[in-house]
Amino acid sequence: MEDQYGRPLEGPKVGWDIPKATVRAWALLRRAAFFTNYVVAFLLILTLNFVLPRLMPGDPFQAIYGQEALLAMTPQLKAQLIERLSLDQSMGQQFVAYILALVQGDLGYSYYYNQQVLTVILDFLPWTLLLMGTALVLSTLAGLVLGIESGYRRGRSLDKALLASLMFLNGFPDFFMGIVLLLFFGVVFGVVPLSGALTPYSGLEGLALVRDILHHLLAPLAALVLVRVTSPYLLTRNTMITTLRENFVMTARSKGCTEGQIKYRHAGRNSLLPVVTSTGLMVPQMITGALFVEIVFTYPGVGWLLYNSLLTRDYPLIQGILLMVTLAVLLANLLVDLLYLKIDPRVSDAR
Amino acid sequence: MLNIQDLKVSYDGALILAGVDLDLLRGDSLAIIGESGAGKTTLGLALMGLGEGRVSGRVLLDGKDLTTLDEVARRRIRGKEMAMVFQNVEDALNPIMTVSDQIKEAIDVHRERGDPGYVGDRVRRLFRAVGLDEAKGRSFPHQLSGGEKQRALIAMALANDPQVLILDEPTASLDAVTKAEITRLLRERMENKIALVITHDISTAARLTDKMAVLYAGRIVELGDTQDLLGSPRHPYTRGLIRSSPNMTTPKDLQGIPGRMIHGVSGCPFSDRCTQRIEICSEAVPPLVEAGGRLIACHRGGIVPLLELSRVVTRFGGLAAVDGVDLTLYEGETIALVGESGSGKTTLAKTVIGLFDLAEGEMRLEGEPLVRRDRDFYRKVQMIYQNPKESISHRMTVLDAVTEPLLIQKVGGAAERIEIAKRVLEEVELSTDEAFLKRYPHQISGGEAQRVAIARALVLNPKLLIADEPTSALDPSVQAKILKLLLDIQEKRGLAILFITHDIALARKVSDRLAVMLKGKIVEEGSAGGVTTAPIHPYTMRLLEVAPDLDPKGRGMSGPWAVPEGPTIRAREF
Repeated sequence: MEDQYGRPLEGPKVGWDIPKATVRAWALLRRAAFFTNYVVAFLLILTLNFVLPRLMPGDPFQAIYGQEALLAMTPQLKAQLIERLSLDQSMGQQFVAYILALVQGDLGYSYYYNQQVLTVILDFLPWTLLLMGTALVLSTLAGLVLGIESGYRRGRSLDKALLASLMFLNGFPDFFMGIVLLLFFGVVFGVVPLSGALTPYSGLEGLALVRDILHHLLAPLAALVLVRVTSPYLLTRNTMITTLRENFVMTARSKGCTEGQIKYRHAGRNSLLPVVTSTGLMVPQMITGALFVEIVFTYPGVGWLLYNSLLTRDYPLIQGILLMVTLAVLLANLLVDLLYLKIDPRVSDAR
Repeated sequence: MLNIQDLKVSYDGALILAGVDLDLLRGDSLAIIGESGAGKTTLGLALMGLGEGRVSGRVLLDGKDLTTLDEVARRRIRGKEMAMVFQNVEDALNPIMTVSDQIKEAIDVHRERGDPGYVGDRVRRLFRAVGLDEAKGRSFPHQLSGGEKQRALIAMALANDPQVLILDEPTASLDAVTKAEITRLLRERMENKIALVITHDISTAARLTDKMAVLYAGRIVELGDTQDLLGSPRHPYTRGLIRSSPNMTTPKDLQGIPGRMIHGVSGCPFSDRCTQRIEICSEAVPPLVEAGGRLIACHRGGIVPLLELSRVVTRFGGLAAVDGVDLTLYEGETIALVGESGSGKTTLAKTVIGLFDLAEGEMRLEGEPLVRRDRDFYRKVQMIYQNPKESISHRMTVLDAVTEPLLIQKVGGAAERIEIAKRVLEEVELSTDEAFLKRYPHQISGGEAQRVAIARALVLNPKLLIADEPTSALDPSVQAKILKLLLDIQEKRGLAILFITHDIALARKVSDRLAVMLKGKIVEEGSAGGVTTAPIHPYTMRLLEVAPDLDPKGRGMSGPWAVPEGPTIRAREF
């Protein structure tokens, strides 16, 4: 390649020519290293989940299955459990047994539900995924848009109004917000149902069923979104303010870009990175939030299930849920990392 | 055609741009130079309609006033008829968009309906025009070098072939080689446009532009042809700027400008830092008026001539030791008078100071003919000599020697005189403790004695200092320090120095201009850089030939000249 004066654009060649295969191998190795973090974290979680109950003093049955284990334990059941958990063998063999069971999807047995823990969790999980997922997406999107608009109009009336009202909303705990919404829209105005995820025994199908589900979802979703929207909003607004001061925004302006292009394509997209991070970090908080909101609205999700299993001291179920939750957090982080590569080209080069 | 009329920008109540008038035609290239904070970038942004402050005045592009347009109409002009390249190449590109997408965008925003074929073709042509590899278009900014980023930014500015191109520090943060390439590229692309180059880098400005405006505290203080303005700056600020910029043309040591820029000064904005200010300077803002093919905003009409000699002749008996010398020494300037012994340098100096009588011609000091050497004269003109120990009376202590001129001029009481003397001694970096003040010339070193002599000369705060071989009796290390001291004092006080020496190597380090004397006549005069690199007179060449250098072969500075054959050049004896 040559420039307009006919001189070569590249400088003189220095260093070795690295064969393509080596380059590809390195790239693969880097990718492997990227996933190794997650594998290590996952193994650590499994180990902790195995070790912690066994570190508790006293009868392992009591530790694993709670007070009820002593009352309702028949000798056959006891023998079955010893065999199943390999309690008569060494710690190492117990761990192997535990892992093998996990691989087969065996998280233990819930006595309260008289079902496999995994089955119980999978029964409740879709509702939580629906509630939390929608809340996460909605609060992030709303936070982004509001943050971009607010940051762009820094110091003007819309910005001030948004800032004040969202800070105010952020002060509420989510369960309180849930109670307030339930009280006003459920009890006083009667526009939303008081509990549940759908009308029981209604026999609704198709679109009517979807509408029914959305109707039930409305209040708990609003409670979660209203409280959670502030954090992405504040982050976007602040990032937006600093991004707008960057030189490339000036370059975009001098090109003659419209306000919308400057707001969203240039400043907005560049403000996205920290928001994506915070969304990933919001997942555990969201789970806590969902727990309370689900209790308030008696919404049949994993949060409500966890609450219930705590009340009934259904230890295998609690452990199973905690494992799922930690996995979810891990998964969310992985997604954020992968999303980074898509959003910011600098990240993939920095590795 | 771009007309800027009384453009003012105020920000938080402070006037950053205090009324700028400029008229530019297609093909004009104008450099705006000045220190940071002078309002250069503010001017560029105000023209683009991107500034944050309050703008008043008019910006007429082909007769259409841009300042009255609404935001939508301005946006249509931005990037289409008027484009700007910003400083800080490093973050002037959107980090998460590919380079070609960003260039495409610049074209797309000004087109009603997209025609991908046309846009793609235009982008390819732009890449070629700025010498950027097309494959680089798919890269993100962080994958490009500084020079490539700058090329991409220039391509973006050229995208719609704008009439007005504003370049803000186009070569800052680039290395020297890339800088040269970008400068050449810009020079080509600026043709047939109205180009404004905003920079503090004078050499870039010199290479890129035909005209130059010096901006100080939001006002244009000097405007003229670039080469002319850099070769002979007329505003004291312009001279200060040039003196403080390292370049290969000026051999004199770098000198700064005392003080710092303050906005909103009543009167001339530069008056606080100016060494030739008079009363009116701090009272009224000088208008930008034409003087000798240039616009200057200075109450004194630019740097004032301090000493003007015309056809000066000094005779000893029938012999003319100084034979018709014409020389003008400006305020705050050093002229080195170079020549061998007997060429008449010292005679000329002594004629100026009044030790020898003027036979013919005329001498003027600050515009007034020099007839009588009264006390006032010696307040303005002082001299230091070659041998300091002899020039200070050996019966006088250091303190006596330095206070004596004050005593003669009847300045203050005894205590005040001692106070002044101590201050000046500190200025020349001498001790002011009692023990030192009581020493006699034979008790101090040569370097200290010369400093005492300088202190004695400076104690009356003269405007002109005649230094006759002030360092030839000193060690090289002491000599270097004394010369630096003189340059520092010149920087601070605006002192004009007539520096007499036989050593042309020394002269070029301390002087703005060099005058070569032979047989009582000035045979060559010009800028120190010009005279020492491209001498015209054979005698100057001869002087350069024998000047000290560090090359063992004796011709370290082997220049383009040759030693002239023919009649030997000899000094006249008398």
